[in-house]
Amino acid sequence: MSTARELPVVGPALDRVDGPAKTAGQARYPSDFDAPGQAHGALVQSTIAAGRITGIDTSAAEAAPGVLAVFTHLNVPPLPRGPMTGLGVSPPAPLRDDRILHHGQHVALVVAETREQATAAARLVRVGYASVEPVLDLDDPRATTVDDPWGLDSERGDVEAGLAASAVRVEATYTTPDNTNNPLGLFSTLAAWDGDRLTVHDATQWPSMVRETLAHVFGVPETSVRVLSPYLGGGFGAGLRAWPHVILAVHAARELRRPVKLVLTRPQMFTSVGHRPKGVQHVRLGASADGRLLAIEHRGRSLLAAEDDDYEPFAAGSAVAYACPNVLTRDQQVRANVPAPVSMRAPAHAQGGFALESAMDELAQALELDPLELRLRNVADVHPALGLPWTSNALRECYAVGAERFGWSRRPARPRSQRDGHWLVGQAMAGVSYPWYQAPSLARATVTADGHAVVGGSGMDIGTGTYTVLTQLSARLLGLPPERVRLELGDSDLPKAPQAGGSGLTGALGSAVHDACTKLLDAFLDLVRDDPASPLRGSAPEDVLAADGGIRRRDDADRSETYDAILARHGRRELSADGSSTPARPAELGMAPAGAFGAHFVEVKVDEDLGLVRVSRLTTVIDGGRILNEKTARSQIIGGAIGGIGMALFEDTITDPVSGRIANATFGDYLVPVHADIPAMDVTFVGEPDRASPLGTKGVGEVGLVGVAAAIANAVHHATGIRVRSLPITLDALL
Amino acid sequence: MRTFEYVRPLDVPDALAAHAGDTATAYLAGGTTQLDLMKDGVLEPARLVDITRLPMRGIFTEGTALRVGALTTMEELAADPTVERRLPLVREALLLGASVQLRNMATIGGNLLQRTRCRYFRDPGVAACNKRAPGSGCAAVTGPARMHAILGVSERCIALHASDVAVALVALDAVVHVEGPEGDRSVPLTEFYVEAGTRPEVEHTLGHGELITAVEIPRLPETTRSGYLKVRDRVSYEFALTSAAVALDIENGMIRDARIGLGGVGSKPWRAAAAEEVLRDAPPGPAVFREAAEAAVTGAWTVPGTEFKVELAKRTLVRQLTTVSEVAP
Repeated sequence: MSTARELPVVGPALDRVDGPAKTAGQARYPSDFDAPGQAHGALVQSTIAAGRITGIDTSAAEAAPGVLAVFTHLNVPPLPRGPMTGLGVSPPAPLRDDRILHHGQHVALVVAETREQATAAARLVRVGYASVEPVLDLDDPRATTVDDPWGLDSERGDVEAGLAASAVRVEATYTTPDNTNNPLGLFSTLAAWDGDRLTVHDATQWPSMVRETLAHVFGVPETSVRVLSPYLGGGFGAGLRAWPHVILAVHAARELRRPVKLVLTRPQMFTSVGHRPKGVQHVRLGASADGRLLAIEHRGRSLLAAEDDDYEPFAAGSAVAYACPNVLTRDQQVRANVPAPVSMRAPAHAQGGFALESAMDELAQALELDPLELRLRNVADVHPALGLPWTSNALRECYAVGAERFGWSRRPARPRSQRDGHWLVGQAMAGVSYPWYQAPSLARATVTADGHAVVGGSGMDIGTGTYTVLTQLSARLLGLPPERVRLELGDSDLPKAPQAGGSGLTGALGSAVHDACTKLLDAFLDLVRDDPASPLRGSAPEDVLAADGGIRRRDDADRSETYDAILARHGRRELSADGSSTPARPAELGMAPAGAFGAHFVEVKVDEDLGLVRVSRLTTVIDGGRILNEKTARSQIIGGAIGGIGMALFEDTITDPVSGRIANATFGDYLVPVHADIPAMDVTFVGEPDRASPLGTKGVGEVGLVGVAAAIANAVHHATGIRVRSLPITLDALL
Repeated sequence: MRTFEYVRPLDVPDALAAHAGDTATAYLAGGTTQLDLMKDGVLEPARLVDITRLPMRGIFTEGTALRVGALTTMEELAADPTVERRLPLVREALLLGASVQLRNMATIGGNLLQRTRCRYFRDPGVAACNKRAPGSGCAAVTGPARMHAILGVSERCIALHASDVAVALVALDAVVHVEGPEGDRSVPLTEFYVEAGTRPEVEHTLGHGELITAVEIPRLPETTRSGYLKVRDRVSYEFALTSAAVALDIENGMIRDARIGLGGVGSKPWRAAAAEEVLRDAPPGPAVFREAAEAAVTGAWTVPGTEFKVELAKRTLVRQLTTVSEVAP
């Protein structure tokens, strides 16, 4: 049969299979769905950050035109908190009690006949508060802290001894602000009960998790709950939890016995569906005079909600980024009266990479060594903690190819030595070692009597190309043209697949699809095993390959048969096979599973009087293992790198230091890059198929972002001689 | 649902009559500010008088001035050949403002009357805002203030007037033509706006119910060079951190006349008359430009988040004076 091994290392750039539907407005996003008889919800959010509700007057809202109900903590029964998920705890249940834990906390849900009526009535809900001074800051002495929240703190060798033995040491503190995921699509939930059966269209990256959560919270069997998210207007991690507003919409629908639709507003998107939490990091590096790392110490602290958790180990990645004998990483979280953070594209590594790769640049400066050469001298050719060979690692090739494409050799060593009119010009780089992550997955492949295939799993396409790459993969494995393969995704009724997140879905679901397609071919061979009419009779899987809409012998191209012919002769309407994939186990492999590697090379221009920073060039080289589709993978990397530019120069969720209110919760005030801020992006893939998975892929959803902020900060230093250790880098720091 | 009455008169007298100075009535032009504020619950008019059908659109030459109908859109004014040739500072200020979609909706009259982007003003959930609720205080002075003003402000209000084109227009001594229940009048733009002072809720001298019908923009002499520089974090679709509208008439190596407007810094579009005085009859050059810049920001009132704007405004003005003085006449 055809196997993944026969796939090219970099796959053909098939156009997005969902492109025509999206451009024609036929792809339906969560808020595009309506249900007959639906009512509309609008949230009321707290205007204090800490304290208690002393009273809620809902009479005016209840009397307003069209209003059906106002839900508050006074009339919503205690709802159970959702279950543990593969990514940690569920958010606390909404409307639990009278306590306010952050500004923008949901305090009421108004449901009315129309969205406008609900919105207007929500303004009529009068909430009395007894306010206390909120904890908003990392340094607030009243804050409680959580040490080593994920058990990832690590230590090898002796950092103090390593530092003492070092010829050159650098030590610095880096700060990163809150960033908000800000997918373009407003998150939306449409909940409809039919008896004990529940159907929910939700803006989620993880339909099976939402199903499990809703079944748990509302006490119904999982099989009674269907969650759909076939298309999503972005997520960047915001869709990885079943948020309180989802629970509220489902509760309201059950109470009112009507479908309820709830669409968040843009300001509510800043407080209701997570964000990248602000943090401070302290890094100490020591190296020998010839640039060998002798010590890495990385300590990170990030802000956390008062009663919720978040996975944000800033420092952990530094334990495996370089070959270094003495390493210490420590992470701590600080509880505050802030909305719950959530994984935002490349959680922890976005911030950790900024600190570590900035510090590496500072070390290169102190060593008077080329920053690329410093990285090359410290590449971890084996996994530095496990001592095992990597399942794949083309980091050296990333550096070499990137340097060549960027023209690194022409870079002058001395900062502030290039100018273009009143622009100071600088170039710098950063390396990335992204961690491996994979979750188990199921999938199903079916060939129908008309010779078409239907392939799917409950995982969803966040917009990055899952439909497309799995179509390509299935078509190749089944020997069908892509137009005869239909993907079904984003539906919890399909075989359970993991989240679109953690750069893991293509590897997990793709491997399960691979398994399903392999088993489907086996099933066809089983069907014709003793079939005297079949030219394939008696063939073993290794004797055949899939081609031309069917199966043919490898040793005799004339001995072949199409799927529809086989099905017709056996009176079958279709044939299906289930597949699965499980994460690789390092011990069994004898290797360390590798995530993606990468290198970013950046040129910036800085106005010497006005401090304006513009990124003028960006070259990124990625080892993503096997690339199924060069076009969609490149788009992933470009999108990630643009996120990195936003993180470096623009994105900053600003909290009022007195009230705890987010002061820039609009797209006019929260800056993301516009087209004119983005230079031409040069993206190249290197490497070979990874040995940890049958597909050989490594996730590329996040690696493109990591390190970009450091590369830009380093380039700003190279241009100006000014080291900026706090993001975003705005002109005020450069005046 | 909160409802309001909507009327769309066809001529100015009907519009004035429909408004009738009623405090619960508001005019509606392009709506790019008004509708946002209504959606956010900041403004809750009981009646909207849509003026977009009034005959107040178009650009006409009147002697040495351009008369711009109040309903002329930002894009239309920017595309006008006379503006392109003779008023580059106006064109540049227009095209660096908002986005093309907004500029196709937003009118010149509405632009002059746009409300501050202060997110404390624009969120009715914030109790303390002297501009929205007179006497309630100002929550913005202790908040993140990077986008706020430093001139014409105090602890009562640091809200910024964020218009770009108004900065160019105050520098040009544009005149606002107004019709109201009491008849017609004309107000120089430099006297049209009111500093935040003790009553931040009062932003201009237009009476409630009065209507801007046209803006008269004096054309610059052929020999005058001008331009607008906008400094902001991203390349487009952001309000100015600082900006400078500059027009210089340089003859025989001496500045005969200078006009300077500053944006991103004032509670109103800021005319830097003291800086103009420094430049007049002086030879252009770095020293006098810096001296003018120092004069331009005299009296700045800052909070921790706005301190950098004093220096940035000076550098912005020096840069733009340098740029404009080096343009071939």
